[in-house]
Amino acid sequence: MSPTQQLLQNADLISQGAEAKVYKAYLRQLPTSGQARNAASDSPDHEVLEPVLLKYRFHKQYRHPSLDTSLTRQRIAGESRALMRCMKSGVNVPGIRMVDANEGVLGIEWIEGKSVRQLLPGGAELEDINELEEMDEVDDTDATDALAEYGVSRDALMDMIGVEIAKMHSSDVIHGDLTTSNMMLKKKTRDLVLIDFGLAYYSTLVEDKAVDLYVLERAFASTHPDSEPLFSGVLAAYEKRTGKNWVPIKRRLDDVRLRGRKRSMVG
Amino acid sequence: MMETYYYSQFNHAVVHVALFDDVTNSTAIRSRIIQAARILGVDGDTEREAINFAFIDARLISSLLHLQTAIYQALLSEAQGQLRTKTIHSEILWALNPTNNITEAIRRYGVSDASTTLIVIRVDVSNILDVQRRMCDIVQGSMVTFEALKQMTDWSTIKKHYKLDAEPALKEVQGKQDRERAIVNNIIVSSVAMKNVVA
Repeated sequence: MSPTQQLLQNADLISQGAEAKVYKAYLRQLPTSGQARNAASDSPDHEVLEPVLLKYRFHKQYRHPSLDTSLTRQRIAGESRALMRCMKSGVNVPGIRMVDANEGVLGIEWIEGKSVRQLLPGGAELEDINELEEMDEVDDTDATDALAEYGVSRDALMDMIGVEIAKMHSSDVIHGDLTTSNMMLKKKTRDLVLIDFGLAYYSTLVEDKAVDLYVLERAFASTHPDSEPLFSGVLAAYEKRTGKNWVPIKRRLDDVRLRGRKRSMVG
Repeated sequence: MMETYYYSQFNHAVVHVALFDDVTNSTAIRSRIIQAARILGVDGDTEREAINFAFIDARLISSLLHLQTAIYQALLSEAQGQLRTKTIHSEILWALNPTNNITEAIRRYGVSDASTTLIVIRVDVSNILDVQRRMCDIVQGSMVTFEALKQMTDWSTIKKHYKLDAEPALKEVQGKQDRERAIVNNIIVSSVAMKNVVA
């Protein structure tokens, strides 16, 4: 078995989608007591390993194997590039830790924290397979409590979301799947981190940025009841950060709201 | 002080890394590496095994994670039969350099006459007993903990090699040294990790 397959075998499955499986894993192991002595090594025994998140784009049986390999490779390269572009522009995104394009695995920094979806009312429904057993206990008060525990107000959270998306758009990265599940509040730093760049792409078009915002607006409306004031907070922060480029995006966002995400190809 | 890493997924590979400060014989180490390649016969094999380590100038390493990421990608390339250089040790140097030029990688990241701080790495299939002594036999200097790496890193040269000076992420945190270094570290660790898909 290949090294990366072995790595996956020892990893914990966190969630599974149509395109990929997501795992929590460790890239190396701590010594077993016998080994440490042999090595005459002074590596501290209390050393704590940092976990990584592995995104495994598994083989799709419905595709020809060579097409499958090249598509997987391209998508991992695309996701890595989008993350790198964001990092260089100061957008909070997870760092890259390991890439195995042959096996379809992208390893990124493990972010300890909660998704924005979990922090807002209505978002507590099951998201991960691990949350199944917690189902009966969750209700809206939990979301509010969780946010309070982080010491971040709801308005401040909306502000942070707007700022991160504005930074990302100003570097011409379109996320492609902005939802409240794809944003996390990092426990340690209280930073808002954008995640899952699997559908991200590069574009300077006002249309693409407006659609990105529209997708998020729809996600807010469908996941979180009475979210209009929340999303206005996001847009206000986005506007402030975007400056003079806001006007055309705003105008286009109004158009998109009337016609929906897909632009008509008639004529 | 020497650190040892264990990777069960790579046939239980064991990697030893050590940091040396106040190194006085880098010129000699360098010529010994070059000489070893030319010696024929059994003597040559013995000498090549004696210096079978990666020697890295610690000035261009921003963190232990930076080093560990390069080691991981080199192990992966070796396991997949896709080494771009002759050995796993030179592959680590290649992984650290932003370009694909092997000579440049060795010139920048390898031991040079001016090196006074060195990181020595040995990748092995199993734990060997006297690695630390063997490292100390080659390098004249004092082995220190990786805590000391912070004082050795030459951030401006790293930023130059990775062409990061004009990036908005750095402009935004101008004057805040800790923030800037964390961002630079995150960018170069990520660059090392993704090198095989962009190259």
